[in-house]
Amino acid sequence: MRQKNKIGFYIKGIIVQIGFVVAAISIFYSSLSQWEPREHWGVLFIYTLLTIFSCFTPVRNANTIMTVNNAVIFSGILLYGVWVGVWTAVIEAIIIATLVRINPLKALMNIGQLLMTIWTVAYLNTLLKSVDFLSPLISDLILTVVYWFVNLVLVGLAISYFQNKGWVRTVIAISKGFTSTYLLLLILAGVGSRLVEYYGVIALVPMVIAFLTISFVFHHYYDNVVKLQQKVEEVKRFNHNFLTTMAASIDARDRYTSGHSLRVAYWGREIAKQIGLSSEKVDEVYFGGILHDIGKIGIEDEILNKKGRLTPEEYDKIKQHTVIGYEIIKQAGMFHELLPAIRSHHERVDGKGYPDGLVGNEIPLIARILAVSDAFDAMVADRPYRKGLPIDQALQEIRRGAGTQFDEELASHFIVVINSLPREELEKIIRQNGQEHKPFQDAFH
Amino acid sequence: MLLDVICFSFLVALIRGGRIKEFPKFQKIYLLVITIGLQVCAVFFPLIGGIFISIAYLFILAFLVFNREFEDIRIFMVGWFLNSLAIWTNGGKMPIDPVQARKLPYNFEEVVNGTNFKHSVLTESTNLPFLTDVIYMPSIIPRVISIGDIFIMLGAFLLVQRLMNKPISLIRLREGKSYAAKK
Repeated sequence: MRQKNKIGFYIKGIIVQIGFVVAAISIFYSSLSQWEPREHWGVLFIYTLLTIFSCFTPVRNANTIMTVNNAVIFSGILLYGVWVGVWTAVIEAIIIATLVRINPLKALMNIGQLLMTIWTVAYLNTLLKSVDFLSPLISDLILTVVYWFVNLVLVGLAISYFQNKGWVRTVIAISKGFTSTYLLLLILAGVGSRLVEYYGVIALVPMVIAFLTISFVFHHYYDNVVKLQQKVEEVKRFNHNFLTTMAASIDARDRYTSGHSLRVAYWGREIAKQIGLSSEKVDEVYFGGILHDIGKIGIEDEILNKKGRLTPEEYDKIKQHTVIGYEIIKQAGMFHELLPAIRSHHERVDGKGYPDGLVGNEIPLIARILAVSDAFDAMVADRPYRKGLPIDQALQEIRRGAGTQFDEELASHFIVVINSLPREELEKIIRQNGQEHKPFQDAFH
Repeated sequence: MLLDVICFSFLVALIRGGRIKEFPKFQKIYLLVITIGLQVCAVFFPLIGGIFISIAYLFILAFLVFNREFEDIRIFMVGWFLNSLAIWTNGGKMPIDPVQARKLPYNFEEVVNGTNFKHSVLTESTNLPFLTDVIYMPSIIPRVISIGDIFIMLGAFLLVQRLMNKPISLIRLREGKSYAAKK
């Protein structure tokens, strides 16, 4: 398998580094003679102006910025033929190579892929024209799609080679950001070309107005989208800080367990990642971990910080923290998705847990995950009156509790997670407490 | 030579509220002095003038390369490079299209009989004819220009904007940002 990948990589390298360059040179050379006739000079002049204009007329997209060169090239192919497309591409390459510093070989490969696209589309154009059963408008549409597709596939090939990734995956990834705008511009170019063909240069006036209006609308639209994204990020950051502060204040009340919530959140997140949950769910587990003990706010200090054994009544009160926390968050009207984590993290799969005595899969997944990480942290963390258990012993306990106290599958995943981490790092995380906030945060993000 | 373009650029810069603050500093100005010397030589030795002009273009290109930190100079470079290709491949003189040139109010005879030190007549055997002076530009001052001249004019316009303390950045335009370059 590996061998096969390696061969594929070499073949890609040869195609991209040699094939693209050779194609660039030969297509350029074959167009050279077509630039020489007197009647072509005016066209080249106009397309030079258009190229300069289009090089500096970006159309904004959500994440990318695209110039309209491809539209100009496309119109050149439709109206005059391959030589105008090649000319436009070459002039653009010269402008960009001079203005922006780029690697000459990569520039050459880039022009290679563009010239191959142009050549393919122009060839297909003459073919469709010779068949002559399609309306030019329909054949333009076909060519639009071909242009986009060939361009995409060749660019994808080059990028997949340089980043050493799969070709198809790269193509899909790069097509996501810009396809709709790209096709829109090409379709406009096609229609514009036909208008110019029938009505002369005056047809450019409505086309330019249409283009400017579209780019104006895009600009505003994406400006707002970006602003909105920033706002969402801000809210997310605020939530994160807010929840972290909350966790710190919960832990601060209980002097035996400083940093406990953050560590439970951390282990919980690791398990969630291990079992392949979506990143959204992973975050949920993390925040569930942070808030899981919030109900301890409602437990008297004397019980929470009592040295020595708790009486059965006191223990019952401690058990109430799950329900108290649940009520607090429920009333707050926020973080509803975290409610099961708070209420059910002391449930056991054998039904002997509290507060509801749920059994097996009745316990929500997020709570089952946090039950494991909560128990682990309770065992390994140091307490003022005792040292934490060694990691191996704690894992032994987890293994023993699998199927009774813990979900069997999650427990085994957790053991894998812990065993895959270097011991030094583990110790560092376990010895971390709430006071040393900074490095802890770093460990998370 | 580009008097009209330069005046127009100053006018635009003035309207944009620009004022001359300081003259930009160029590197290796002596290269320009050498090119002037070479062009003078070309006038005095018209027979081998082409060689002088070709070398002069090389020096100007070198001057531009040394000063390429500014965008306007890089645009100049594109234009100068395209014009140089035409001049180098045609024996040191810029071919000019007689059909277009006759529209101009100047005496064309000098070019035809080969005594003009800068231009020659475009013929069938001219190399890269599409890069030579073939486009008739009716205003502001009527002249026949090449495709390279478009870039030189654009570069001149940008240079004047920078001179008047109102620079325009094409790279920023391309990236979809405000065109006003950092001063």
